[in-house]
Amino acid sequence: MNAIIQTYGLTREVKGRTIVSNVNLNLKRGEIYGLLGPNGAGKTTIMKMLTGLILPTSGEITLFGKKLAEDSKESLKRVGSIIEYPLFLEHLTAMENLKIHCEYLGFYDEMAIRQALDLVQLKGIEGKKVKEFSLGMKQRLGIARAAITKPELIVLDEPTNGLDPIGIKDMRDLVQTLNKEYGITFLLSSHILAEIEQMADRIGVIQQGKLVDEFTLSDIRQRRTEYLELVTPDVRRAAVLLEQELQIFNIKIVQDNRIRIYDANVSAGQISRLLVSRDIELEEIQKNTSTLEDYFYNQIQGGAKHAKAD
Amino acid sequence: MLKLIELEWRKLERKKVIGEVVIYWAILMFLPVFFLQVVFADMPEVTYAESYAAMMKLMLPIQMGFLLFGASLINHVFIEPYKNKTMALFFGYPLSRKKLFTAKALFIVSAVFFCTVVSFLLSGITTYAIDLAFDVIDGTPTAPDLMAFGVRTIIHSAAVAFASLIPLFLFGIWRRAVIPTVVCAIFLMQFPNFLGLLRIALNPDLLYALLSVLGAISAYLSVKLVNKIGDV
Repeated sequence: MNAIIQTYGLTREVKGRTIVSNVNLNLKRGEIYGLLGPNGAGKTTIMKMLTGLILPTSGEITLFGKKLAEDSKESLKRVGSIIEYPLFLEHLTAMENLKIHCEYLGFYDEMAIRQALDLVQLKGIEGKKVKEFSLGMKQRLGIARAAITKPELIVLDEPTNGLDPIGIKDMRDLVQTLNKEYGITFLLSSHILAEIEQMADRIGVIQQGKLVDEFTLSDIRQRRTEYLELVTPDVRRAAVLLEQELQIFNIKIVQDNRIRIYDANVSAGQISRLLVSRDIELEEIQKNTSTLEDYFYNQIQGGAKHAKAD
Repeated sequence: MLKLIELEWRKLERKKVIGEVVIYWAILMFLPVFFLQVVFADMPEVTYAESYAAMMKLMLPIQMGFLLFGASLINHVFIEPYKNKTMALFFGYPLSRKKLFTAKALFIVSAVFFCTVVSFLLSGITTYAIDLAFDVIDGTPTAPDLMAFGVRTIIHSAAVAFASLIPLFLFGIWRRAVIPTVVCAIFLMQFPNFLGLLRIALNPDLLYALLSVLGAISAYLSVKLVNKIGDV
């Protein structure tokens, strides 16, 4: 069984409003899959349905080849998760929380608990109450809890939210270690593009509850294109000139004073000479590379509507 | 199921709950004599002090105070986990919500039953000890009195335990509101007095049976409808 999660037409409606619409996901064993989308796109709702926290209005979820339903949640034993933020019984100690977690899963191995705490560098504080923990410590404890039973899949919703740069790096390293060394499959979500780009092998873009695109890191590299960006107060005239004089059609006006030119055959010198000769003020011109951020911007913000190309 | 019930206990702020129970016990154990010597002191028509058998009629409604403890447990076991969202954590475990809620309801019933039984015993012992010292009740307890007290303790504690679940469905799970849950419990505690004020004569046993059935219905609806109204 290569597929760990499969969803078919996954839909969730709340009070007549569609939060998640007809999502068909397919996660392969051993990969780190990132759900990318702006706040409110439906990422958390999808994760909640995948981990049995809420029920889909329609559609089907298959975990490890078995259908997930309210009366058949056995496959959740093979899943660890932190959804929204790490939830704990704050009045109990870290150790008590982890023991209760293990007992709910029908798994009890104190050595495994200690190993998990060691893995996230929380050894020695197991007797401390969780309410005394910082957010970063709670995130790490959440990972420890998710990893104790050596699950085959870990679902992390916005795992770096609220963490400082060191905490973010630690979290990233931890995810990659668990993935590479223990073969744990990850489903992550984030709205921080650079973050998910650094962690995920494959990314699904969620917009208004729909899975609008899926791509791998190599896809991103292929989609990464170089472009010239010029800043001028007269974008419209500049765009017309570039089209008529230099036959550059692949142009995008990204802001009121910014034009991106994706035609690799024209140099910055040619463009600046043309614009200066026609008395168009050129404030800046530089070569850039489009990133996932640009792609994401296009997907989510409808950047295409600004496009003038073709 | 026993394991799940035990886990409900371990998830609680146990010191807080135990402290609360001790306060209930400490208050309720002195209430029968307090009522006899203070509240009904100038009411010769009240005949609870005539015998231990009569005194038992006073002790039964006093233990309805544990309905308030039931409301407190509904708060700790259902409302707080909804409010701090830890309920979501437990929905993510490989057990059905129905099973989880059944365990929670059974935990409340068991805890209220156990604490009410202990409270009955403490009240009985305290009342007897005070009577020995100050002679507040006529006569001494007979074997049939003790037998009746034992049976009543079990039956009445069970009634209180089930009745304590009355606020569960409406105020605990649906509204998830602490104050209405507590107000409902106070109202139920005072219900026999309200009937008296309204001059409605209802057999106490019938009343307790009715409250027990209502509690059981509330628990049934809570478990039955958890998938519809139980989302965090």
